[in-house]
Amino acid sequence: MRTVLSRRRLAAAAAALLAAGGLAACGGADDDEGGGGGGTASSGEPGKVAGFDGTTIRVGVLTPLTGPVAVIGKPLTAGNEVFFDAVNAKGGIAGKYKVELVQEDTQYRTDLTVQKYNKLKSDVVTVGQVLGTANTLAIVPQLRRDGLIAAPASLDGLWVREETLLPIGGPYQVQAINALDHYVNEGGGKGKKVCSFTQDDAYGEAGQQGLEFGAEKLGVSLGTNQKFKVGDKDVTGQVQRLRSAGCDMVFLVATPTDAGTIWGTAAKLGFAPRWVGQSPAWIDELGASPLKDYLEKTVWIVAEGTEWGDTKVPGMAKMVDDVKRYKPSQQPDYYFAFGYNQARAVAGVLEKAVQSGDLSHDGIKQALEGLGTFSFDGLTGDYQYGPAADREPPRSSTIFEVDPDKPFGLGTLKYNAESPHAKEFTFEKADL
Amino acid sequence: MARPSRTLTRRYEDELRLFRTRWSQAGLVALVALWALTPYVLADDFWLSVLDYAGIAAIGAIGLNLLTGYAGQVSLGHAAFLGVGAYSAGYLGSELELPFLLWLPAAALIGGLLGAVLGPFALRLRGNYLAIVTLGLVFLAEHVFRNLRDVTGGNSGRSVQAPPEVGPVDFSDLSFGGESFSNNQGWFWLVWGLVAVVALLAKNISRTRPGRALQAVRDRDVAAEVIGVQLGRTKVWAFAISSAFAALAGGLYGSYQQFVSPDEFSLFLSIQYIAIIIVGGVGTIFGAVLGALFLGGLPGIIERYSDSIPGVATSAGGDGFISVFSLNQAIFGALIVGFLVLEPRGLAALWLRAKAWFKAWPFGY
Repeated sequence: MRTVLSRRRLAAAAAALLAAGGLAACGGADDDEGGGGGGTASSGEPGKVAGFDGTTIRVGVLTPLTGPVAVIGKPLTAGNEVFFDAVNAKGGIAGKYKVELVQEDTQYRTDLTVQKYNKLKSDVVTVGQVLGTANTLAIVPQLRRDGLIAAPASLDGLWVREETLLPIGGPYQVQAINALDHYVNEGGGKGKKVCSFTQDDAYGEAGQQGLEFGAEKLGVSLGTNQKFKVGDKDVTGQVQRLRSAGCDMVFLVATPTDAGTIWGTAAKLGFAPRWVGQSPAWIDELGASPLKDYLEKTVWIVAEGTEWGDTKVPGMAKMVDDVKRYKPSQQPDYYFAFGYNQARAVAGVLEKAVQSGDLSHDGIKQALEGLGTFSFDGLTGDYQYGPAADREPPRSSTIFEVDPDKPFGLGTLKYNAESPHAKEFTFEKADL
Repeated sequence: MARPSRTLTRRYEDELRLFRTRWSQAGLVALVALWALTPYVLADDFWLSVLDYAGIAAIGAIGLNLLTGYAGQVSLGHAAFLGVGAYSAGYLGSELELPFLLWLPAAALIGGLLGAVLGPFALRLRGNYLAIVTLGLVFLAEHVFRNLRDVTGGNSGRSVQAPPEVGPVDFSDLSFGGESFSNNQGWFWLVWGLVAVVALLAKNISRTRPGRALQAVRDRDVAAEVIGVQLGRTKVWAFAISSAFAALAGGLYGSYQQFVSPDEFSLFLSIQYIAIIIVGGVGTIFGAVLGALFLGGLPGIIERYSDSIPGVATSAGGDGFISVFSLNQAIFGALIVGFLVLEPRGLAALWLRAKAWFKAWPFGY
């Protein structure tokens, strides 16, 4: 049985031991003192804390590894793994601490995410990946209470101002604004009719919000906004309405399975507007599907970074090299790159925490606040970290066109497009 | 005066006692001790959270068992009432900042009233037809949860900041005797204490007139009406009480998880509850509790030990013919199927059979 009192005593004992150059461990049932007992040894090495035994740093992963969203969870986690494999091959964080991932399967369910978070929270220094907007929102209250940091695998605009989260990449709203600007000013979209087709949830709302903001700034009057539910098998009605409204461009917010259904229906009905899909709408298999000719003619995807194997971008050259070395079986994958990038940010925070000699939950938090501007080697725009109120996410996106001969099935149309209006968008804190 | 050698029922008072024999009294003491000591012995956050969720599920399952097991009304709409309870906790507890002792009963009451509205449908429909109507309820509720933004927060869900404070005692941050306890420890005592209360309530309902009326309706509604059971009132009442328990469980769920989203209260959740009462044992109170423990705890146990099986990959891209995550799902499914094939009457039957054998010993065959 452990109580706070005995843990306080333990922590005091730990501090005393540490001062004497020894080390002490601490952990227990009580959760309002996450980590506890962390400190700096006289040699400047981080002390043992929850998730760090003096040699190995353990990082949690909460991701769907089974169920319908595992198509995203698996490659994304593989990206985490390969990045840390490369770090470990060099000796690890700061050249001496290996990183080990503790993976838990959430099945993309909020209740399981909370349960699994409880399972690993006292065993890791930070959560290096939590996949899904709702799942991230579900653990934020606990993160706040335990003082842990988590890195969401979701580009929701809500993360920018949340001090317990380590977001990367340009939020969905920014993607939508950049895509619309590109269409209007460079894609021959002046005076054309712009509509949208969005998933009926928080993710759909984020894209629509960005599109509306951009439309107002660019003086575009938006046409109809149609919605669908995840897993809808029949979207004929909505596609018909988009067609009869005379839409020239349709902004699509969906995940791959639904995007396939929607484009298949549109192709069957002979409706061929300029589709612009939000980044999670794409999956490599679409580029090899019978639809590929239709997609090649009509679809752009707005995302980040560059096409797989584009060695002009230094980050990509290194990633391809790492994949060759540590996971040769890995197919070029869009979500893999995100996971790889995310691990880079997590490793950056860990490096900083090791430098200041404190891997406790509080030390990680300090490290994140002091991270400053962090570069992703061109795989996504630089992110200016710091206190949540001053964070500045990247405002650039990359517009891709479908090109079945390329590795992702995507070729770069415009690298790092940055609309002036994307800079004007302000982010709010989630109302939790 | 000579006493009968066995537990013979000689007086009406004997019938009324829940714990008659020495054995059952000892069992009660053991259960209370188990309840009090578990959080001390098992100070692990993961297992405690599994048990907390299982306790919450047990409360909901007891409600469904009254409706489906005792009254024979199949309902696939249970998830809707759980959702109503969870959102009530969110709105009444965190928005209006009502105290725990007010919002929790209020959530149960709201659920009960909505359930009572459903009752009349059950008067005209039976069996599969009723199941389809209650199925519609899940979709209707989901639509409301997604669109009644002021209350539910819409698609992204809402946080629930309704701590379980009873007067000066906050179960999510307990401390007494100079010791502090974690969120999960406090919740364990609260949830399982409530399971005991709800189980007692349900037990008393089932063995008194209203409960007998429910069982009469289940066995043959026409015959029940002939002997004087008011069919309409009984069915409405069954829906109301079962929904009230579901909403109570939902309220606890929301408060414990501190976040609810409309994605959680889907048809799948209703089916899980049906599975809980079938695996546990239909038409018994403690079967619902056993089922909730079994289905709640099993995935955790499988996970804990399945990665030691050779040839199983323990990470997303590891080597092996099957990943540990897919294997967990497969084992879980296989266990449920196997269980129902071998023991259709559920976990409760195992216990009852063992008890009967000991009672009739040495003639237990």
